[in-house]
Amino acid sequence: MPSSYRNFRNSVPWLILSLEAVFIVLFYFVFPYDDKFIMSYPDVNLMMIFGFGFFLMSLKRYGFSTTGFNLLLIVLGVQSHLTVILSVLVLLLIEATVSMTAVVISTGAVLGKANPVQLILMTVLELIVFRMSRWMSNTFLLVTDSISMMHVHLFGAYFGLAVSACFSEPSPRTDKNARTPKSDLLSMLGTLFLWVFWPSFNSILSDRKWRVIYNTYFGLAVSAVTAFALSVLTTKDGKFRMTHIHSAVLAGGVAVGHAAHSIQYPWIAMVLGLLASGIAILGSYCSQGCLNPPLKLHDTSGVHFTFGMPAVLGALAQVILLIIKNWNNLPSMGYLVMIQVGAFCLTISVALITGLIAGLILNLRLFKSIPVSKYFEDQFYWEFPHLAVGF
Amino acid sequence: MPSALDTNMRFKFSAVALLLEVIIIVLFGIFVEYREDNNPEILYPIFQDVHVMIFVGFGFLMTFLKKYGFSSVGISMLLAAFGLQWGTLMQGFWHMQEGKIHVDSNSMINSDFSTATALISFGAVLGKTSPLQMLILTILEITIFACNEHLVTKIFQATDVGGSMTIHAFGAYFGLAVTLVLCRPGLKKKHENEESTYQSDISAMIGTLFLWLFWPSFNSATASENIFYIKAIVNTYYSLAACTVVTFALSSLLDQRGKFSMVLIQNATLAGGVAVGTCADLSINPFAAMCIGSIAGIISVLGFHFLTPLLACKLNIHDTCGVHNLHGLPGILGGIAGIVVTAINEETRQNIRLTPGMQAAALGSTIGLALAGGALTGGILKLPFLGQVSDQNCFDDSVFWEVPEEKKPHEFHSNNYDEHSRFEATM
Repeated sequence: MPSSYRNFRNSVPWLILSLEAVFIVLFYFVFPYDDKFIMSYPDVNLMMIFGFGFFLMSLKRYGFSTTGFNLLLIVLGVQSHLTVILSVLVLLLIEATVSMTAVVISTGAVLGKANPVQLILMTVLELIVFRMSRWMSNTFLLVTDSISMMHVHLFGAYFGLAVSACFSEPSPRTDKNARTPKSDLLSMLGTLFLWVFWPSFNSILSDRKWRVIYNTYFGLAVSAVTAFALSVLTTKDGKFRMTHIHSAVLAGGVAVGHAAHSIQYPWIAMVLGLLASGIAILGSYCSQGCLNPPLKLHDTSGVHFTFGMPAVLGALAQVILLIIKNWNNLPSMGYLVMIQVGAFCLTISVALITGLIAGLILNLRLFKSIPVSKYFEDQFYWEFPHLAVGF
Repeated sequence: MPSALDTNMRFKFSAVALLLEVIIIVLFGIFVEYREDNNPEILYPIFQDVHVMIFVGFGFLMTFLKKYGFSSVGISMLLAAFGLQWGTLMQGFWHMQEGKIHVDSNSMINSDFSTATALISFGAVLGKTSPLQMLILTILEITIFACNEHLVTKIFQATDVGGSMTIHAFGAYFGLAVTLVLCRPGLKKKHENEESTYQSDISAMIGTLFLWLFWPSFNSATASENIFYIKAIVNTYYSLAACTVVTFALSSLLDQRGKFSMVLIQNATLAGGVAVGTCADLSINPFAAMCIGSIAGIISVLGFHFLTPLLACKLNIHDTCGVHNLHGLPGILGGIAGIVVTAINEETRQNIRLTPGMQAAALGSTIGLALAGGALTGGILKLPFLGQVSDQNCFDDSVFWEVPEEKKPHEFHSNNYDEHSRFEATM
């Protein structure tokens, strides 16, 4: 029944082409390339496109859209970020790619509920707002670049949640957002890639690379083991749950990211990994049980407990480490702590407020948001290679 | 659950895993320190490659069983993440300075290597053990591995840059010994879940490809100088290529109708990388590397075809993934190649002349320790409270995982077919 399907022919191609034209014209004014090469840039690129593309692929009928739109959004996003700052120095290219993490995490929250037009607009909006929020914390709070960059998970998760709050909830009876063993396994492939390359991600903008890499490595290892232990403990009949594993193994990397440059000993990173994994699993338990229903939130890929809560823990750990480090020097400690807490609050509040505004804009009738009955459907956007029986 | 063996591991597994993790963190707190790196720019990309091989490569290589994908990937991730911490400690204890273990990118690579042994052994017992048993196995195996490695590299002063002997042969024979001790007469007849489907073979191929791609990094990771490093990469590259071609040819030759067998393509193509490991950085030229690769391919294919069924029915060694053919036999071949090369050429590493006698001693000690350690570990794993699965629950994810329900596609097909035939009947 073609009439019941919303046709994107008149909107998507024109939007993408006009954006691309703007990029090309503006890139004409861009300074020439520099010859620097940063070792871990390919790793981070792989994480973004391959890792996140497969990580979010857990819905049984939404695999094409997950990986396909992820690729589209990342290439568009990186270009638009570079256009905003009009320069293609390697460092800025990296910054653009890392900033895209925020967008990808936010798409995780609205996965299957937003159409491509909405996703593209969300990408552009979110990148601009994230850039602004970082600019504010860099100028007013004098936070260093690498630290404000690590707020990317925090920003992405809460922005995504706020946007998701503006979309209508899928009906609880639908089974389209169910998982299959196959989709879970592919999602595990993405998770593994994210897990393996997370040390590169955390260290890419840091000036104490090796410290950050080791800390992330050990933090991730502990959070993987803890994820398995706690998953068994919290499920009904003592079995592993794949969703837990997906989210909790990464929590350690997210949490360690904030403080990794200042952690002196591996055991601190390992304790942090353990706590992060615990928070992620407890969070998945609580947010499904008691947090999401009253707030009418639907968080498709669980970005709140995968990225949001561990990031809060990481920011907290950073403050505590600062306090311990400057224990003998109370006045300067107070100042430093205020700055960190300020930057943290700024990021979260900007994310929530602009996320809500963005959500309201995206739900204007102009953008043809898709009806609830068509959520989580690949067939809505893609030509299928075969008459898919069972879809 | 009616089964006699208790598979609910809610408190047992979580308590043991958390306890071990806390112990490891305390040990790290006491012993481990960071050290500034010497040449991280070279080592870090290699480390990333090895990391991908361990977590993605080994994990997905074992997903070939139709109902055991979650466990293959998930449990191997658990084992590797746990093993790398334990490996850091165990290998560190042999290299302590002033009572402290120093961590740098070299030790990260080595601890990833030590987990490879546990993953190879996991391949031999795949589907027949519980996660708790595997945790115990990882601890014991990595401990014995660290001792053997110290024996080989420091006491015998033998070379084994890619770990053909110390990692692959060790892991394989350790796993075989464990599976012999844990032997299940009930599985003599083929278990209904012990087979692959089209989908599961494809996902196993993902693992093969990642292992294949990054094997040159694996074999060169611990090379001592830049020139040896490049030599190891080149030799591994050609050996793998030759092995792959030979595997395809033999796979077609051994089949009645000349068709390829996916099991062989998934596994035997990698044997070349295993076999060239010991002598990858010695002065052999690509010609010798390709010979080693081709022989490895032949051995591996013949092993899968003739030896594995023989071992299973005569000796009660049931080797689920065929690690004996992928890691065991090519590992021994690598050890022998090392003996031959050191006998023909004069090789020195760090001012020490490598001798065939010491290479042979290294090979012998590796296999001896692996078999003895494996038998001991198997005995420990037989303890009843470790939650061994019953025979009919083998090779099944749903014993340890919450598996989402899937409507079987053939039901739809049969329904369609029914409707179609009914439609035809009414015409």
